[in-house]
Amino acid sequence: MKKVFVVMLVLVLVVSMIGCSAAQKYPKKQITLVIQAAPGGASDTVSRTVAGLMEKKLGVPVVGVNKTGAAGSVAMSYVKESKADGYTIGYVPVELSMVKALGYADISPKDYDLLGRAIVIPAAVTVKSDSPWKTLDDLIAYAKENPSKLKAGNSGTGSIWHIAACALEDTSGIKLNHVPFDGAAPAVAALLGGHVDVVTVSPSEVLSGVKSGELRVLGVMGAERSALIPDVPTLKESGLNANVVAWGGFAAPKGLPKEVREKLIESVKEAINSDDFKNLCEKRGMDHAYQDPGEFEKFATEQFDFYNTLIPKLGLKK
Amino acid sequence: MEWLDILSNVLHPSVSVYLVIGVLVGVGIGTLPGLTATMAVAILTPLTFWLQPEQGFAMLIGVYNSAIFAGGISAILINTPGTPASIATSFDGFAMTRKGEVGLALGINTIYSVIGGLFSSFVLIIAAFPLARFALKFGPAEYFALAIFGLSMMISVSEKSILKGLLIGTLGLLISTIGLDPMLSSPRYTFGNIHLMEGISFIPVMIGLFGVGEVLHQIFENDQKVRSIMADNTIGRIFPTLGEVKRLLPSTALSSVISVVTGAIPGAGGDIASIICWDQAKRMSKKPEEFGEGSIEGLANTCLANNGVIGGAMTTMLTLGIPGDAVTAVLIGSLMMYGMQPGPRLFVEHADFVKRFMLLMVLANIVILFVGLLGAKLSVKILKVKKEIIWMLVLLLCVIGSYALNSSFVDVVVMSVAGILGFFFRKMEFPLGPFILGMLLGRLGESNLRRALALSQGSYSIFITKPITIILLIAAILSIVIPLIKEFNKKKTVQIH
Repeated sequence: MKKVFVVMLVLVLVVSMIGCSAAQKYPKKQITLVIQAAPGGASDTVSRTVAGLMEKKLGVPVVGVNKTGAAGSVAMSYVKESKADGYTIGYVPVELSMVKALGYADISPKDYDLLGRAIVIPAAVTVKSDSPWKTLDDLIAYAKENPSKLKAGNSGTGSIWHIAACALEDTSGIKLNHVPFDGAAPAVAALLGGHVDVVTVSPSEVLSGVKSGELRVLGVMGAERSALIPDVPTLKESGLNANVVAWGGFAAPKGLPKEVREKLIESVKEAINSDDFKNLCEKRGMDHAYQDPGEFEKFATEQFDFYNTLIPKLGLKK
Repeated sequence: MEWLDILSNVLHPSVSVYLVIGVLVGVGIGTLPGLTATMAVAILTPLTFWLQPEQGFAMLIGVYNSAIFAGGISAILINTPGTPASIATSFDGFAMTRKGEVGLALGINTIYSVIGGLFSSFVLIIAAFPLARFALKFGPAEYFALAIFGLSMMISVSEKSILKGLLIGTLGLLISTIGLDPMLSSPRYTFGNIHLMEGISFIPVMIGLFGVGEVLHQIFENDQKVRSIMADNTIGRIFPTLGEVKRLLPSTALSSVISVVTGAIPGAGGDIASIICWDQAKRMSKKPEEFGEGSIEGLANTCLANNGVIGGAMTTMLTLGIPGDAVTAVLIGSLMMYGMQPGPRLFVEHADFVKRFMLLMVLANIVILFVGLLGAKLSVKILKVKKEIIWMLVLLLCVIGSYALNSSFVDVVVMSVAGILGFFFRKMEFPLGPFILGMLLGRLGESNLRRALALSQGSYSIFITKPITIILLIAAILSIVIPLIKEFNKKKTVQIH
């Protein structure tokens, strides 16, 4: 009898403890935000700022962890394979839609519960101010007369800014001499030093050269003009159909519990639409571009289809 | 505002206290192997946003300068460079510790780091624009020539056996080819593993080779020499004598110039600069045989070089908005967060800030001078700790440091393998210098060779039509040929006798 009583008591205790923890709502502990890039860059700054803002909303620490490698595949695979409990989320850049086509990892937007898009950064076609090309048409006319003569610096073969140059070739029927550098900054340095003729990188990378009058942006490759250089027309305005932008948003492993998912979406939305975050975008030269999970999924899937057609055509698959 | 007003502004406690905090944090992070100056600045940056720009930058400038200086402390005390910039410091620094001259080694590290830092700060103040213009002349062909010049030093860092040096240097070069190739991004030796696509990261290898390798070596060799120093409680004198300073003058003067120029060139930093300066000091020295065995000339030049690049890197960052190294890449982000776009306009729109920035560079070095000299005495305490405990601590730090870098266990594995290799390299008397050179410069050389050929559409004339390229390539040829001729002559005289 006594034994049964003890067993009952233990059972009651255990059940009530389980009940307690279930009643205590998400989030109960620290959330890890996996960042695919090194500390200090644009992705890192966006992620850490949003993490700080989410922290206020959720009331638990949101800690950024950098895991670089293979164009972000290391971090994105890690998030994909993490437990879908809302305690591991990740920053997802445009490479989410590219790495499968590039042959790095079998990842597509469908593998995640997307939480919201934060920013877009259009590619800016930039030349030196003392070059003879005043408009995009000048540049294209020159390239048509001198196929493969124009030296185009990019941030690495298979990187988004390389794809941007390829898309420009594709849409205008020109041929460029692509020269990959280790990142966008060295490519801009090579442009300033006169070692290459044109670069297709983000507006913020070329902004100081533009402001000092040494560089000229001929066109941006986004759907809309960039807030950073509003005088520069889009390629669309020049009658070219090339839309290549870098973007970034947040994602969690597929299959979050409904309540957790809603909470995360809400806190991500609030963080991205805050004045603090808009302020950051303006200062760092990114275009604030929130999309809710539905729109974001549609956008990311379109991008996925676009890159999975374009990249094999360019012969970039490993 | 005039310089004096600005000086009183940055000396105000509300600013200078952040500078001192920055220096102290930098010493901590820089000393720990694996925690680099880049990481220190990146971690502190978000904390500075609630400060005024000059306060925030006081902290960041303090951290950057002192982390690079402090990397030399662990190179000297435990033969493990705290940051990659201090690799060459370990060549002579630890040898001096073994000779019982640890105080002098730490003193020289402090004094010559500060001299390098101050010289490069003055260059930043006086000649920022011309220097940055010169740095832009470095295109792919010039980088390739620079890498070849660096690789030509393999012979002089080979210690006893040139053959062993070249063998291990080639191994370093081969390891640098692992990962996606720099032009076409096709994978090489990755075995389908995504962790190998970025290649073998340099820092875990460095920590393993120097940290774990050294600990294993000491355990198995049962090094009586090291034990006897540990028993001895004095660190010896800290200051070099006047005679020593005079002897150091010519080589350090040249190193100052080399390091500030190397710093200004984007992508070439303290690791490369300090090896170049060590090598040229050896060439100028009357006692080149002491290099690697505890030469104060070797030590002073490397310490000067890694801090000398900072002013140069800042030059390119402030005047062009282009990062001179990884740390300044992070600093550009911080400047933009304060609403300041680096570039020529910064000197007009935010002239006061730029002047404050420059003075903070000078002040940071003065603070380091005091912290370093006072701290040297404290190192006695570290040396008093039992050897076994130091070994455990170093192993622990190596694991934490390599993991912290990228939150990656793969890096810990790389570090451990490098550690075991480092042990065998030591046992078989393979020098580590050429290996490091190969790994460091392999990718720089390869990517820029192919990049330059892409620019010239396959014509090799790009390497012989540019003045900087020609000078560097000739220097590289000379640095290979001259030691061989000397060797040959020596053999001849021996035969005659």
